[in-house]
Amino acid sequence: MRRLWLLALVIGLAHAQPSIEAGRELYMGACSGCHGATGEGSQGPSLLSGRAGRLSHQTIATIIRKGVTGSSMPDFPLLPAPSVANIATFVRSLTAPAISAQLPGDPARGRALFFGDGKCSTCHMLLGQGGHPGPDLSNIGAERSVHQLRESLRKPSARLEEGYRSATAVLPDGSTLRGVARNYNNYSVQILDATGRLHLLERRNLKSLEIAESSMMPPVANPEDLLAFLAKQSTRPPPQQ
Amino acid sequence: MKLLLLLLPLACAAQVTPAAIGNSPNADWLTYNGDYASTRHSSLHQITPANAKDLVAKWVYRLDGAKRLQVSPIVYDGLMYISNTNEMVALDARNGRQIWHYRAKGAEGARVNRGLAILGDKVYFATADCHLIALNRRTGGPIFDVPYSSFAAGYTTSIGQRGFVASLHPDTGKETWRFWTVPGKGEPGSDTWGNFPAEMGGAPTWTTGSYDPALNTIYWPTGNPWPDFYGGRRPGDNLYSDCVLALDADTGKLKWHFQFTPHDVWDWDANESLVLLDSTYRGKPRKLLVQANRNGFYYILDRVTGEFLHAQPFVSKLDWTTGLDDKGRPKVVPEKIPTPAGTKVCPSVRGASNWMSPAYNPATGLFYVVTLEQCDIIVASAKEPVPASGFRGTGNEGIPTEPGKFYLRALDVLTGNKKWEYPMPGPGVMWAGTVSTAGGVIFSGDDDGNLVALDAKTGKDLWHFSMGRSLFASPVTYMIEGKQYVSIAAESDIFTFGLFTPPTH
Repeated sequence: MRRLWLLALVIGLAHAQPSIEAGRELYMGACSGCHGATGEGSQGPSLLSGRAGRLSHQTIATIIRKGVTGSSMPDFPLLPAPSVANIATFVRSLTAPAISAQLPGDPARGRALFFGDGKCSTCHMLLGQGGHPGPDLSNIGAERSVHQLRESLRKPSARLEEGYRSATAVLPDGSTLRGVARNYNNYSVQILDATGRLHLLERRNLKSLEIAESSMMPPVANPEDLLAFLAKQSTRPPPQQ
Repeated sequence: MKLLLLLLPLACAAQVTPAAIGNSPNADWLTYNGDYASTRHSSLHQITPANAKDLVAKWVYRLDGAKRLQVSPIVYDGLMYISNTNEMVALDARNGRQIWHYRAKGAEGARVNRGLAILGDKVYFATADCHLIALNRRTGGPIFDVPYSSFAAGYTTSIGQRGFVASLHPDTGKETWRFWTVPGKGEPGSDTWGNFPAEMGGAPTWTTGSYDPALNTIYWPTGNPWPDFYGGRRPGDNLYSDCVLALDADTGKLKWHFQFTPHDVWDWDANESLVLLDSTYRGKPRKLLVQANRNGFYYILDRVTGEFLHAQPFVSKLDWTTGLDDKGRPKVVPEKIPTPAGTKVCPSVRGASNWMSPAYNPATGLFYVVTLEQCDIIVASAKEPVPASGFRGTGNEGIPTEPGKFYLRALDVLTGNKKWEYPMPGPGVMWAGTVSTAGGVIFSGDDDGNLVALDAKTGKDLWHFSMGRSLFASPVTYMIEGKQYVSIAAESDIFTFGLFTPPTH
């Protein structure tokens, strides 16, 4: 019985959970020179991209051990397996959904800003509360990484989500309609106005149509509290850690 | 104050009311079967037997990643809503342009989705892992996402080891009542199972029911008992499998039930559409409920009392019974009970009809139903049933020399007598249904990937269009800006048709 218990302990140790913190330390030493201190990329590619986010833990570990032939990514054949696992865990955490992250901001202050002085809820909705023209944010903490959320808050036009370009149409009667183009092509345009009404229009009937190239959203200089609040937004409880 | 007055009518117009659903289908198509009575009969009449030859394709929408759409689209106020497994889209219904796309991120399971619902300013659908999701119908933003059953315990939309009908509040998803289709120990009906545990009884509720607002009654069909082909461990009628349940809409209390196939050992779910109509029947005004059942009989019941009035076979390949008694109970041919050696039975396991939706046109008095003439070999075993093991009591196989043949049949709604039929040759894979229109045209998918238009009175072939797909859905019809459209889901796509109109410039 005792031997069995010891065996269980040994197996337990061998399968110790890889650690993000231990991985960060190793990453700063071996990886940050090319991939950047926060994974933003420099000589090496960004580890924050959607493509990087789709790599499995196993794939990342293999790349670390074997390198990438034909690129400047070297192999690390002597790095112990637990260290490789720690680094892979840290790299995965860079693109993990924001809801799983520990963030320094104050979500209560973020909430007050969202529905108050920040006026975010004029354009964005959370579970039916808020305005129409911007993307619904009810599940944003489960869908975006901290990096993506921070970028969207600080540089809203850096990555514009299709379906939310501001549109100005002059209707056959000469009146002007403003809203966001949920979709458009050469023949039709579907505009959602600020009251939440959809206008399904044929372009040949319009006097003019202008579709903006940049986001209507103003940048947020200091987004940490909003980030902490938005990171918690999920339509379902977060998966158990 | 003036501003408020101006805004109010707009706000009201944007709400889908129960009364509006009661008037569907007209320009809009607001429930799975179009109306509460499941007739799939539209008041639209722009397309007629005279001009159906001028139908042309108007647009095709492809839902990326979809393989086998089985949705009956909902159309309201110019928008078409389509659901697939764990996702929903809204389209501009005139041209198929996408307005929003919602994916239930994190939802588990891959079971097919057959449709959605609309009420107020929300659209609703169920995920494969048994969550009800409500979305803002104009933005696709979520309002709530709540579980109503346990995916981990083996339930998926819309089947599980023990069936139920649940009522969830449209504002919150909170459950208001639940009716289990297999009674628990000591409850009425539990003595029809021997010692078989209710938790394994089956009787799933995997299609949509019908509703009579005047009687405040929901009519819901139930599926077969488990295991499908071996009944040795479940002696008795196995209530409420293969039934129609009449439930009080407010409380879920059972008003009456009628069982089509007691102690089913052939997998003949009763989940086919329950069509409600009022008519003079044998000299008396009656509120009727009719169904073309998977077991091969067309049934007429009184939907106030559940009284059995009439039944008649609607397929010629039917050999499991010598007929029904005056209460509608079948007299089973003992040799047709499946054995370990295999037993040839007609109709087949797929049934004389199935969940492909029928339609009823009050003007012609005809009930239009896709039927399958086929027999199967069913093999039963006395193995101990193990839940969630995939065990069905052994299984069934087709007979290679006797492939199934599909027909669209028009039955006299008050007798079940066949008025005409339209053969649908093909590989025998279709699950497509029908829609009826006041213009006198019946639309149906066929077994060869065509949408066909037939004369409702005679069955005369008026028009067809080959979509090059297998069909697993029923068509709908709607009208926008004075133009009538007909749409059907075909594998990954929604095809939409209308009458040819010359370009305006």
